[in-house]
Amino acid sequence: MPARKKSPARSSRPARPAASSSVVVPEISAKRFFGHGLPGVDLAKLSGKLIVFEGADGSGRSTQIGQVARWLEGNGHATLQVGLKRSTLVSEQLDQAQQGNILSRTTLSLFYATDFADQLEHAILPALRAGVVVLADRYIYTLMARDLVRGVDEGWLRNLFGIALVPDAVFYLEVSPEQLVQRVFAKNQSLDYWESGMDLGLSRDMFDSFLQYQGLMRDTFRRLQKTYGFAIIDGERSPKDINAEFRERIDRVLAGQ
Amino acid sequence: MKRTFAELGFPGRLIAVEGLDGSGKSTQVHLLQKWLEQQGCKVFFSEWNSSALVKSATSRGKKENLLTSTTFSLIHATDFADRYERQLLPLLRAGYIVLCDRYAFTAFARDVVRGVPSDWVRGVYSFAALPDITFFFKAHLEVSLTRILDNRPVLKFHEAGMDLKLSPDPYESFRLFQGRIFEQYLAMSTEFHFTMIDANQRIEEQQGVVRSIMTAKVDLKKYSTSKAS
Repeated sequence: MPARKKSPARSSRPARPAASSSVVVPEISAKRFFGHGLPGVDLAKLSGKLIVFEGADGSGRSTQIGQVARWLEGNGHATLQVGLKRSTLVSEQLDQAQQGNILSRTTLSLFYATDFADQLEHAILPALRAGVVVLADRYIYTLMARDLVRGVDEGWLRNLFGIALVPDAVFYLEVSPEQLVQRVFAKNQSLDYWESGMDLGLSRDMFDSFLQYQGLMRDTFRRLQKTYGFAIIDGERSPKDINAEFRERIDRVLAGQ
Repeated sequence: MKRTFAELGFPGRLIAVEGLDGSGKSTQVHLLQKWLEQQGCKVFFSEWNSSALVKSATSRGKKENLLTSTTFSLIHATDFADRYERQLLPLLRAGYIVLCDRYAFTAFARDVVRGVPSDWVRGVYSFAALPDITFFFKAHLEVSLTRILDNRPVLKFHEAGMDLKLSPDPYESFRLFQGRIFEQYLAMSTEFHFTMIDANQRIEEQQGVVRSIMTAKVDLKKYSTSKAS
């Protein structure tokens, strides 16, 4: 049921909800951390919503987030977009490290976790305190999946990311590796080293490696889905259909369901 | 962190020294290194907070005061992991005696004082093995404080624990901060099998004890570079 058709008194233009002057105030939902959490955070003060979008490069994540943000703001909700490797603290060093491919697995995990924690404390939590709808372009699930595919211990990762806040909703845009490779080529001239999992040594053929690696990532996301219960969104439909599904689901999140 | 490198079958041995700033541990580990080198042992010295790439992020974070207790903890863990995976493990595989001025215990003590949950930080460092020997240099708190405060009167923000807001005065803050770290160290000494050294003794007396423990616990002949000839 699309809850977005509100204010029946002015329903002359139901197709354009942004034209309505009434703004729906989201329900405040209880927040919790995955594990130990962060010292000194009062969860009861987090009145905003945290919505996470996961999916490979080329899954349509960024396009969808952009559209969702415009739609939310049109409906009167303040939004903030965050993503991995955007912290002021370590994003530069992380870039350097990746380009040189000089860090070992545990080190890279911890470096990413530092970047994540910095953004959690300096961007996500302050925005949630201010009642903002935070749209995260990837979250701990991508970090965990990448490491799990590379053989990092799951218990260790669970403890490490026990600092993370449990999102109000998590959407995983699933696209088959065969589709992904086509989309990547439609946009770029070449495959990315990391997105092809070349560091794993699956195959010396980059195309082959990309397909295998993205297949492993999808399997891992499906496995994580069973533990963390996020929504798997079929990303092979038209962007419009996908967006309609997001709106419907996010409406429910805002209504506290 | 339950098993030592010896128990895990590494040919090398890792010796860590821990203690408060001003406990004299760096002097002691330096003297130990010189002695081992004179014995012809393959020995390597590694310092806390010294991996090049991570260092630039750490110092920037400290300078610009961007760090919270959690990111402070994680960035030091990253630095440690980098050194551990790229330097310590290969050296230990190659049969070196590796001397570490501070190990994960420094993080356990400092981070917990800063409010980070103790089992979380222990979990973060659980990829690392236990040192074969951990010498803890236990001096009277007042002695350590005096040594530092006499030598270097300008205290850095984090070094003085100013982020904890224990006192607006850096010297008073440093005293209180070090006192709390000391308590944490003592509380973990049994958990991680610290070998306690009375750091109120003369330098030579302490070094004598350290060398005799090394001789008793490590078969130094095995680490000699001239063995093959």
